Amino acid sequence: MSIPTELRGLIEKRGASRTVEGHITACAASRDNMRFAFTTAEGDVIVAHRADLAEPASWATYAVHDGAALALAPDTDPGGFLTGGDDGRLCRLDMHGEIEELGKTRRWVEHVASHVDAKTAYIASASGKQVELRDGRGETVLKTLEHPSSVTGIVFDTKGKRIAASHYNGASVWFTQPKSESVRLLEWKGSHTGIAIHPAGEALITSMQDNDLHGWRLSDGHNIRMSGYPTKVKSMSFSRTGKWLATSGADVVVLWPFFGGGPMGKPPVELPGMGGALCTRVAYNPEQEILAAGFADGSVLMIEPESQRVLPVCLNGGSAISALSYSSDGCLLGFGTEDGLIGLVDLSAG
Amino acid sequence: MSDASLTSEPADTLVPVTVLTGFLGAGKTTLLNHILTAEHGRKYAVVINEFGELGVDNDLVVDADEEVFEMNNGCICCTVRGDLIRILGSLMKRRNKFDGIIIETTGLADPAPVAQTFFADEDVRAKTRLDAVVTVVDALNFLQTLKESPEAHQQIAFADVIILNKTDLVDDAQLKAVEDAIRKINAFAPIHKAQKGNVKLTDVMDVGGFDLQRTLSTMPDFLENTHHHHEEDVNSISLSLKTPLDAGRFQMWIGALLQEKGADILRTKGILNFEGQSDRFAFQAVHMMADGNDIGPWKEGEERESRLVFIGRNLNRPQLRRGFESCAVA
Repeated sequence: MSIPTELRGLIEKRGASRTVEGHITACAASRDNMRFAFTTAEGDVIVAHRADLAEPASWATYAVHDGAALALAPDTDPGGFLTGGDDGRLCRLDMHGEIEELGKTRRWVEHVASHVDAKTAYIASASGKQVELRDGRGETVLKTLEHPSSVTGIVFDTKGKRIAASHYNGASVWFTQPKSESVRLLEWKGSHTGIAIHPAGEALITSMQDNDLHGWRLSDGHNIRMSGYPTKVKSMSFSRTGKWLATSGADVVVLWPFFGGGPMGKPPVELPGMGGALCTRVAYNPEQEILAAGFADGSVLMIEPESQRVLPVCLNGGSAISALSYSSDGCLLGFGTEDGLIGLVDLSAG
Repeated sequence: MSDASLTSEPADTLVPVTVLTGFLGAGKTTLLNHILTAEHGRKYAVVINEFGELGVDNDLVVDADEEVFEMNNGCICCTVRGDLIRILGSLMKRRNKFDGIIIETTGLADPAPVAQTFFADEDVRAKTRLDAVVTVVDALNFLQTLKESPEAHQQIAFADVIILNKTDLVDDAQLKAVEDAIRKINAFAPIHKAQKGNVKLTDVMDVGGFDLQRTLSTMPDFLENTHHHHEEDVNSISLSLKTPLDAGRFQMWIGALLQEKGADILRTKGILNFEGQSDRFAFQAVHMMADGNDIGPWKEGEERESRLVFIGRNLNRPQLRRGFESCAVA
């Protein structure tokens, strides 16, 4: 385990970091943006309270899974988190640090997602070929969605009306409404390894085994191909308005335009990265036209694509950035590395 | 990958992976439990198929789905195991928890997609190496199985090590017949006899079979031992050449050959003497997917001879030999 000697960048003045045991598999803020959680391949969840952001020694560690924690999502409750693990458990870690098992299967729970709006709340988890859609409490399974092969990613649309899952040879789109049984199968041959949905529901995008992206225009099912990557794309993030899709997978940050007829027939914008290091994670700020990008050399940058201004968040992170996420108010940015470095930066004014 | 790109990667940091194949009832799970419970002080992560015959006694056991898919690279035999890509990727996040990985396949599985996964996926290649395909053969039922099932031929052809199990259940004549049948298909893999999976661990684990360091050094000199085979059958051909090879010419030739005949050529392995190189170059391919790396210098006083082995169907020996010889430096 390499312990970074000295982190540089925004994290020096406005953030804090700590090294924990294990590969960091995911990070996310709670729905109220007061807590920030990191999951590890050791099965732990580390939670930082916003008030203790500058005191990383006080960030609490919870042993939630026996085996790796594979997936993380904010809970439907304001202060908690949902995690999935290779012990087959879907768990809730509430704001008091209580761990509640919501479900258990024989297979790894590889993906967890949640949705909350004024009327409804859902929790979804994927293990093997199945996606279980639960109510907001997580205690009742509303329906079990069966797929032709293992599910590699799940995403709710912005309104929570639909949930989409990627798998071999395409993606499936389901209505969350409990009475609806129908599924829309979007087909494209090959192994689809991850999924993202346009915030206005215009397109569904998957990453593929063959180092490219595939997409479908949801209005008419028209196929979209986005290629040219040297490696697999493991991270995708739409900008708030849906104008841009940022992706990892190259030594630059790749932005596909979703306007003016794009991305069909339009080249992507390439934002310079860390001078040769592969971009491994991207996250668009949910409030502003700014994105964060993490690299294989352990660096995290914030980039304003319009001006191409770059602000280093963390340099010398030691190992590849494996988790990167903003809070929904855009004020917290957290990241984690393969060697267990976790960092959190406060971007709020003052 | 359809090209035979020759890359070098440090082999010692990669996690060794052993693939266990063999027909239902051959004794795969018994062998697996024998490996896991032996006193070796090593920890293994085990990937099993969904419907294993027996329980597996290990801390870290993962259920696999044997989901095979074709790569979108225009090469029809380029099938890989998608579930393995996911599982190995996740296991590598817990690299400190085990010393090696063992993958058990179902009895009817064609080993090609498993082996090809180690060539085709960049993340798997970056962190793991296929140590050996170990095929367990049931001495009692093998000859019958071979008649009935093409998968049995594939499993023998792909083997780097063969465990001839249940030898206590047959007489010497049948044992000999089984060995001969195995040798007709795969003339190179060492055969270890066993009863109830009681093999020496050094025979199956960390043998480096796939990267040949041992296989070719233990290879018998049977070069002109040409059985007559029906050409539809899987068989083996070995070629050797004392003149150093031109690396560029070899790459051109083998690339074109595998591109054209890769569907019939199941396995290719070689240790090559490239002109101007002090290191031995180990070459290997599964169907059309090829890989290679330097494996250290030739031994003092060792004859520098390039050896190349093909296992497959419709192998045209004179043609292959002419092609190989054309790679020699002029």
